[in-house]
Amino acid sequence: MNSKKTTFLVLCILTLLFTSFMGERYAYAASIPYDSYIYDYRGYIVRTPAPYVPKKNISGISLGVGKFTNPQDMCVAPDGKIYVADTGNNRIVVLSEDALNVVKEIKGFTRDGKEETFKQPYGVCVSQSNVLYVADTENKRIIALDENGEFVKCIENPTSDVLEEGFVFTPLKVTVDYADRVYCIAKGVFEGIMVFEENGQFSSFFGTINVEISTWEKFWRWLSTKEERSRQTLYIPTEFTGVDVDDDGFIYASNIDTTGVQAARRLNPRGQDVIKKGTEKNVGGDLVTGGASTYSGPSYIVDIVYRNDGIYSILDSKRGRIFTYDHEGNMLYIFGGLGSQAGTFTSPVAIEESGDRIFVLDATRAEILTFEATEYGSLINEAVRLRYSGDESQAVGVWEKVLDFNENFELANVGIGKAYLTAGDNKSAMKYLKLGMSRDYYSIAFKRYRNEILKDNLGYILTGIVVLIAALKIGSIVKRRKGGVKE
Amino acid sequence: MNKYFSKEKLLYPFYVLTHPADGFYEIRHRDRGSVPISLILTALFSVSYSINRMMASFVVNDIDPREVDSFHDLEGVFLLFFLFCIGNWSITCLMEGEGRFKDIVIVLGYSLLPMVLTYVPATIISQFIAANEEAFYSLILFIGTAWSVVLALIGIMTIHNYSSLKTLVTLILTVAAMLIIVFIVMMLQDLVIQVYSFFRSIYMELMFRT
Repeated sequence: MNSKKTTFLVLCILTLLFTSFMGERYAYAASIPYDSYIYDYRGYIVRTPAPYVPKKNISGISLGVGKFTNPQDMCVAPDGKIYVADTGNNRIVVLSEDALNVVKEIKGFTRDGKEETFKQPYGVCVSQSNVLYVADTENKRIIALDENGEFVKCIENPTSDVLEEGFVFTPLKVTVDYADRVYCIAKGVFEGIMVFEENGQFSSFFGTINVEISTWEKFWRWLSTKEERSRQTLYIPTEFTGVDVDDDGFIYASNIDTTGVQAARRLNPRGQDVIKKGTEKNVGGDLVTGGASTYSGPSYIVDIVYRNDGIYSILDSKRGRIFTYDHEGNMLYIFGGLGSQAGTFTSPVAIEESGDRIFVLDATRAEILTFEATEYGSLINEAVRLRYSGDESQAVGVWEKVLDFNENFELANVGIGKAYLTAGDNKSAMKYLKLGMSRDYYSIAFKRYRNEILKDNLGYILTGIVVLIAALKIGSIVKRRKGGVKE
Repeated sequence: MNKYFSKEKLLYPFYVLTHPADGFYEIRHRDRGSVPISLILTALFSVSYSINRMMASFVVNDIDPREVDSFHDLEGVFLLFFLFCIGNWSITCLMEGEGRFKDIVIVLGYSLLPMVLTYVPATIISQFIAANEEAFYSLILFIGTAWSVVLALIGIMTIHNYSSLKTLVTLILTVAAMLIIVFIVMMLQDLVIQVYSFFRSIYMELMFRT
């Protein structure tokens, strides 16, 4: 009897153990094929709930327009239509807002009564006035077409004093600001982004990245002879990889940074970088990049998308991750991964956003992957939106909901702490600001709290001091008298 | 017992605190110091160091509390302590230093007292200061540390009956000696492991043969 009971008990425990382990693992794997995480103040990885979940993979076949071949770029127009540069098939495919239907295919246009086609179009962009710009790469030109597909203008053979003789213009990525200025990343151009005026005239290079040579490299160059120096690799500025424009006309550009510190730039109209790098002093993707495999090393950022309210996302093709930052450079969430499951990438090349969905274009899979915001993700977006527009007090409620999902989210704690600080509840402010690791604001809250306590207890403190002095005096008198008696 | 822990001996570190030259002279020549008290002071230093790193207020403290392990600190402090003592002793032996090993241990332990006395109060004070008053906190820590260093320097000078220049030279050599000791210990460890694994493989071979 007893041994039977024990056997039964052991069986029960084993079953429980197994089901709990297995159940968890399967539930996890079935829902989301990647990890979502964030880096905390000390650079530790903190797992978070998924901010975005994969929804659908859209391929040319599922759309009924034939397989995409090596598609390279994608753009969401102001009216919500999605333009895909199907590079290998020399066409632009226009999708409806929900990315489920094809609106039209653009294979060519009529210019001066002549039919012309694209050749390997790498980049695509739609301006605010709904004019489509195509970086027609192998034809060495940028073509602008209006919404009916009529030819508007063509940018080719730029001439300028700053361009070398025999310069071949090979546009890769293109974007247009509110004044119809065209910003173009061209192949083999390291001076920066090329800017073209509205009339198609090349005006200048923009956002030049300076070469940074470390002291160690300088030392080696100083040691080496002239012949050696001529054989060494040249120090070439890093390339821009993707470009986008925000509502104020600031250009967001992604670049490759081999140090992993800064892969995103926000360029003002003068071409200066005005991005904020947040508490980590880093907008370069992953912070933990150790190891020696091909999977390690700094993130390789291939595209950037400016979303609303100061939020922008960058796309890493090394580990297939999407990093999202707010206007202060604080990391909001990281998700995505490489693989062959639905919702993972093989070689992601472009990222776009529309509403609460994120689209990623994968060149090898020749698919558009859509991701949909979870409650967690949209709460963060909402809170950042409120904060960006100055409604910090309204944001508190949203931050509190975010904390329900992820109580280690430092930005949420800081947001709540700051609101308490404004409201005058210094003690709660201290608690949240400490959790959010915001030393400066914590110090302010602490100072106010200290003054509060001092003010409230001033009477007791002064009485205490008076009593203490009196006690000391009496004590010394008593001692003296006792001494006197002994003598 | 009384030899090490008489009331006089327990109070003697505080006398040394304010009279380093005389105090350390009497340690060398009149046996006023005590090795156990010195070791206790070293342990206390290690504890107060850990307390400071772990408990100092958030405003002044950027150390991740998860990374502080007081037992690990204790090991590290004693390791460095004895490494320095052995290094210094081996150098001063060759350079006509008069101090015995015992004296070096006592001098080093006693000169840690200012740090023991300042780290804990500084930690308490840190609980009451805001960001722009950090200077008070760091000043206290600095005074404690500087005092300890000065005590150690005077102590080493006095017990070995050195000039100040010679003290500095021996200290530099001491650091070199410490590095050599570490190197030799590591090499020895490697050798021992190799010998051990050699005999172990012979043993295994014999075991499997039968």
